[in-house]
Amino acid sequence: MPLEVRIPPMLRDCASGQTRFSITAGTLEEALRRLFETYPLLQVHLYDETQRLRQHVLIFFNGESVARLDHLDIPVRTGDQLTILQAVSGG
Amino acid sequence: MTTRVRLLVGTTKGLFTFESDAARREWRPSGPHLGGWEVYSALGDGSQSERIFVGTSHMAYGPSIRVSDNGGQNWTQIAEGPRYPEESGFALNRVWQIVSGHPSEPDTLYAGVDEAGLFVSRDKGATWTEVASLTSHPTRSDWFPGAGGLCLHTILIHPDNPRRMWVGISAVGVFRTDDGGETWRTCNEGLARVPVGTPHPEVGYCVHKMVLHPDDPDTLYMQYHQGVFQSNDGAETWFPIEDGLPGDRISTELGAPFGFPIVISRSGDRFLVPLESSDQRTMRDGRLLVYGRRRGSDRWEPVGDVVPDEPRHVNVLRDAMTVDSLEPYGVYFGTTSGEVFCSIDGGVGWDRLPGQYGRILCVKPWIQEGEHAA
Repeated sequence: MPLEVRIPPMLRDCASGQTRFSITAGTLEEALRRLFETYPLLQVHLYDETQRLRQHVLIFFNGESVARLDHLDIPVRTGDQLTILQAVSGG
Repeated sequence: MTTRVRLLVGTTKGLFTFESDAARREWRPSGPHLGGWEVYSALGDGSQSERIFVGTSHMAYGPSIRVSDNGGQNWTQIAEGPRYPEESGFALNRVWQIVSGHPSEPDTLYAGVDEAGLFVSRDKGATWTEVASLTSHPTRSDWFPGAGGLCLHTILIHPDNPRRMWVGISAVGVFRTDDGGETWRTCNEGLARVPVGTPHPEVGYCVHKMVLHPDDPDTLYMQYHQGVFQSNDGAETWFPIEDGLPGDRISTELGAPFGFPIVISRSGDRFLVPLESSDQRTMRDGRLLVYGRRRGSDRWEPVGDVVPDEPRHVNVLRDAMTVDSLEPYGVYFGTTSGEVFCSIDGGVGWDRLPGQYGRILCVKPWIQEGEHAA
């Protein structure tokens, strides 16, 4: 099932110049794996060396933070979205 | 012969370039390149290419090295850039320094990073490897960050011996290798430890910036957190060279001369920008004064009052000052309020380059002559 992915413009050079694209996966877990297999530099900017999500990065699946999900084995359905955001900070 | 002079200016909001000719009177700015990214380090790759390396970082998205093969028009990220192994427990936060290797090793580049470490590339920047002998130094558990982070900000290579190198880490100190990076020893004798609160006496020295004498690689100069120092024995020992500088290491009110950058011309003239104090970190009385110590002189002098008619309560960061390799040499610096200044008369008269930018993190010259300058 195709999943729409949106990334911040500052990271577009990690994804061949795109900020909005789709990947095909059966589950959210597979979607994340395919996303970072396809665009490994994206993973460098979202996770540090210890594989922790960087402090000021948020990954939302249909508006819900992936970090707060109990598990990632969630089926992907038509119209699902994965959105990467910079956490609001400062200002 | 045609000469093309470029300045690479890294800011908190991208890279800017300035271009001129040998006269260095008119400058054409370009940028921002990589807008929104911090650019802590930049390297124009020699005289025969249009390649630029920069160390980019971002508060949210972390660091990487980016490269342009056409003078900054297009950029790509280095896929196998500096990165600590997961099991190390270290995290890469910024790339503070990118320098070319010894001339006998033209494919080699070094990168100094925060969290403090040294990385090397043997294939012109395509892949990078941690110099783990430094990161696993026996003193590592006592490395403590300065206000700018735990950063390896200075990399010096002996001009005649590529196996001898020095690195400077804040607030840890100076390390030297004599075997091409296989082993490292601390070189901080004569410096006063800063209060880092750790017990290991070999480290805890807040080197701000260090340069090598162009003709005598046993002689190094250092702007330290508490004073300005010289070594005549390859950094084995250090002694203060502060005559003529504001500040007084005896007086508790003024304290030792404080600042961040120190630079040296090919002719041996040295320059720095003293600040009010470690507490204030701005120009004394708002006067943007550059101090110089000419070759052969035993005193520093205030050689250039850069903006005599206006106050500048600013700072000049450790990599935001540089000297080019032309004759006469040019001296350049950028301020934390985003202005860039240039002198081509030994630091006496100063021109302000066009524009005002974000906080200036690094200023690096890039000279090309002949065919590649056209």
